[in-house]
Amino acid sequence: MHRRPVVAPSPDLATAVRVRLFAALRERAGWAERLVPLAASPTSAADLWQRLALDDGSAAGAAGLPPTIRVAINQAFASADTPLRPGDEVAFLPPITGG
Amino acid sequence: MPTPSPERPIVIKLLEAPFEPLELLAAWQRSFGAAGTAAESHFIGRVRPTTASGAPLEALELEHYPGMSETQLRAIAGAGAARHGVGAVLVAHRVGRIAPGEAIVLVAVQADRRGPALRCVQELLENLKHHAPFWKREWSGGRGTWVAGNTPL
Repeated sequence: MHRRPVVAPSPDLATAVRVRLFAALRERAGWAERLVPLAASPTSAADLWQRLALDDGSAAGAAGLPPTIRVAINQAFASADTPLRPGDEVAFLPPITGG
Repeated sequence: MPTPSPERPIVIKLLEAPFEPLELLAAWQRSFGAAGTAAESHFIGRVRPTTASGAPLEALELEHYPGMSETQLRAIAGAGAARHGVGAVLVAHRVGRIAPGEAIVLVAVQADRRGPALRCVQELLENLKHHAPFWKREWSGGRGTWVAGNTPL
């Protein structure tokens, strides 16, 4: 038997996903990047959006992922319903204004 | 029929410092050699001096998703080049803080004929404005405001 750590270990990428926020979304949430442990059941980006309470608080109750927010998994656009795997990089992208 | 290029040289540049689009274009043209090309189309976008609400603009800040921004630009350029059967494509895009009047984007397409060159430039520009992860913030009066959406075509 090994001892239980006194301090909860920070999640590592073997069991977690790296969540990244950009632009207005990053500033609203107050963080840019976070390691989030995956639950035992399949987790999607849409699930994480609710779990991390990333909505702007204007909707009553836990708001789902708004259609204006796009999801990228491992730096490629992906459906918000895609099941995540440990080590994935998940990004929430507010409306794009390039060029 | 347009002649598809066997190898479509796609050049993508993400630039953190001001650039001179005509110098980039000149270097790009030199890469074609003495024969030059039959048709080229170019677009240069610059930072306008006012915000979306009409206030004087101090600077435009361009945030991007490092890695994905370059990958997406390359994918967009490659798909457009294949669809229109053009030759070389050059896309240069600024990131960081950009002053009014400075170039923010350069898109250049080389082709056998004017139609594919012109159409490809327009399509690439629209696609990169909507599908490459860049975000603009306007600075005016010492305050930054994220731009909600693209200006109309």
